[in-house]
Amino acid sequence: MTKYLISRILRAIVSVVIVVAVVMVMIYSFLDKQSIFANDPVYPKQKGNAKQIYMMQEWERYGYLDYVNYTEYVQSLINSGEVSQDKYDAHVSLGKDAVGATAEAKSSVQKFTEYYQSQGYTVVPMAQKTGAGGQPRLYAYKDIPILNRLWNYFSGLIKIDNIHTVQEDVGERGLTFTLYDPAYGGEKFSPAIIGNGTRHKYLVYCSDSFPFIHQNLLSINLGMSYSVNKNIDVFETMTASQGSFVKSTVTYPTGWVEETADDLHSAIHSPGSLSMGDLNQRYYVDDYTSVTTVKSGMSKMGYSFVIGILSVILAYFLAIPMGIAMALKKDKLIDKLGTFYIIFIMAVPSLGYIFLFKSIGSTAGLPAKFDMQDPTWLMYLLPIVSLALPSIANLMKWLRRYMIDQMNSDYVKFARSGGLSEREIFSKHILKNAIIPIVHGIPASVLGALTGAIITERVYVVPGVGNLLTEAINSYDNGVIVGVTLFYALLSVTAVILGDVLMSMVDPRISFTTKAR
Amino acid sequence: MDELYNLDHLNMSEEELFSMADRDELASERITAPRYSYWQSVFRVFFKKRINIIALGLLAVMLIFIYVYPLAIGYDAEVDPYVNLLDSSTKHLSPAAAFERFGFQLKWLLGAGASGESTFDAIWYGASISVSLALVCALINMTVGVIVGAIWGFSKRVDAFMTEVYNIIANVPYILLISVIVLIMSASFGAMVFALTVTGWIAIAYFIRTQVIIIRDREYNLASRCLGTPITRIAMKNILPFMTSVIVTLAATEIPSYISYEVFLSYIGMGLKDMSLGKLIEASQSAMVTPGWGFEFWSPVAVASIIAVVLYLVGQNLGDASDPRTHM
Repeated sequence: MTKYLISRILRAIVSVVIVVAVVMVMIYSFLDKQSIFANDPVYPKQKGNAKQIYMMQEWERYGYLDYVNYTEYVQSLINSGEVSQDKYDAHVSLGKDAVGATAEAKSSVQKFTEYYQSQGYTVVPMAQKTGAGGQPRLYAYKDIPILNRLWNYFSGLIKIDNIHTVQEDVGERGLTFTLYDPAYGGEKFSPAIIGNGTRHKYLVYCSDSFPFIHQNLLSINLGMSYSVNKNIDVFETMTASQGSFVKSTVTYPTGWVEETADDLHSAIHSPGSLSMGDLNQRYYVDDYTSVTTVKSGMSKMGYSFVIGILSVILAYFLAIPMGIAMALKKDKLIDKLGTFYIIFIMAVPSLGYIFLFKSIGSTAGLPAKFDMQDPTWLMYLLPIVSLALPSIANLMKWLRRYMIDQMNSDYVKFARSGGLSEREIFSKHILKNAIIPIVHGIPASVLGALTGAIITERVYVVPGVGNLLTEAINSYDNGVIVGVTLFYALLSVTAVILGDVLMSMVDPRISFTTKAR
Repeated sequence: MDELYNLDHLNMSEEELFSMADRDELASERITAPRYSYWQSVFRVFFKKRINIIALGLLAVMLIFIYVYPLAIGYDAEVDPYVNLLDSSTKHLSPAAAFERFGFQLKWLLGAGASGESTFDAIWYGASISVSLALVCALINMTVGVIVGAIWGFSKRVDAFMTEVYNIIANVPYILLISVIVLIMSASFGAMVFALTVTGWIAIAYFIRTQVIIIRDREYNLASRCLGTPITRIAMKNILPFMTSVIVTLAATEIPSYISYEVFLSYIGMGLKDMSLGKLIEASQSAMVTPGWGFEFWSPVAVASIIAVVLYLVGQNLGDASDPRTHM
């Protein structure tokens, strides 16, 4: 069994990688790169060379290509000491046609061109244009090959924070362990590990909220967002709390105490930020100044999951007795009513019955809109029931089918002729056999709750995770698309494997090892 | 001894004498039973239920409205919706108000929409697009899905390969695939058919594969294989008849699901650019929340639902009737 599971998991990982590759090819190769500028207000204002440069910069940000500017190259030469700082201007000043006027520039341009052409880049010299052309420019670009893209993506998926993460000079690098977290004033007992040189200041800390011990050591990077939630990782977008600020008394590193929503435990290193403003100097003693805020609401995924999981529970809770009743009273009134319901849900467009249900619900006085500012338990009711409607129909349909199939089988006839009571036959034999395929679907529905629901969340304005993918597609946010795809694919392969395992646990006859067959 | 055979003295003609009867090889094989024709029995069972006759009648009426009515009135999607665009007194009318404004005509039965167009005409024209899309997609997906599924179920080597392909294709988000195709090919009818069918067949193929595997190793097929029946004959004669009802039932669920899916895609802004049912629902969404305008929104929803329910009902019952076990 273990061996089988390992091979299943390995194959699942391979297919997840291929899924991500397929999606990458789809969005980076098939789609027209130009389309990202369709809703860009800056793009139409750009002209000539500046427009070209702007397009290149945007494409690099969206992850389409690797773009190197000549000035960046000269800067890197200065950083590496090949060119002295005072010669910068001489090296940067290109002639009218971007091949270099000064001798220094000529040699640098030569080196730039040779180096990047040998690396497979396309080097583009742009001449000075008369009129609204701007300066001469020189740049190189290269499309990122799919394998590199995949490798970069998967190798950067999980990052372990260490004391050498920060490149800049931060003084003595190291970890400190404290039993009294300074963020709580330094008197309350609360162990924490604080790092210097790490990206996060707090690597491990405790708080009053679930799960009480938190960590920033491992971070998951599914993909950086560009337009949906700018410069924030998809995973962060899905899991960061939303809503209004929650203020608490916080002791800043300088000893300043204030009522604020700042979450000091989220502090990450932001180079040079301390010297940038007086405000930071009032609060902080080092460059760990970038903090997030504590908010009252759940995360996008939190809302989706709460609604999803409750609707799954509701669906199983209602559908299993209903399906059983339909099978037991076949062709009676309850079976006909149930069949009518199933046909209704199967045939009517989901949009139709969700709106119908919403209008029924709001006539009955239930809140039809999700309001994060003023949360009540009632506002969860309509989304949960709406989401459960189709799964109830589906479960009922299949449970009824499986039960009836079992009822007609020979072993039931045999058991009946052997004198077993109907109740015994039913609970000890039919139900046990009929429930097995239903059990197979449980992990899929539980994990599926994490992905949210597109229509339900739109109709009831739930700030959930369901619309993230459509939002990302509409705004060409490639990082988010890839990240969400990976997340969905991981969930779905996990669900299938868990379903098989659960099924073999419920039914000992099912074995996945070939030996038993 | 010869006298026994010589019957001349009896003075009887050749016809009167006993003669050897021909043995009919075929007749001896014939079993005395009522004549059974598969399709005749299917329709006999189908029409025995009164609800099926009603549903079929309803379906016929629907199809006339969907395909004949727009042609009969010469509906032009480029012109007709905008005839009353400049007249503000014609917009967002309830049926009663529309009758008062334009006189009692069939086309104002469902009132007028946001640009003063007849909701009734727009719905049937939209339905013709949606239903055509559903039928074309279902036809393509069912054909490809059943053929691939049959091969997939039969061959163990194909099974190992296709299962991995299925794992990959099923995990590529459907919405992403559709939106990429629509962005590349523009949101035309053909692009939509392509988007819905390029991977849509695999779910059907997977379902058929499971069914084939269940039947494939039954004893009668094992026996058939042992007797040397070729695989194609087993597939055509032993397995396909078993599958007919499954395939018809599947078609019955597929067609409404494409109508539903088209509505869903339009709702999230990734649908057709033609005024299909889904697009109508999406366009009239804002009217739903305005008191008195609800008719514009609920009419296309109701028509889409009725079409889907009728198609589903007819298909399901045809599926039931095509199962030979119900022919007794």
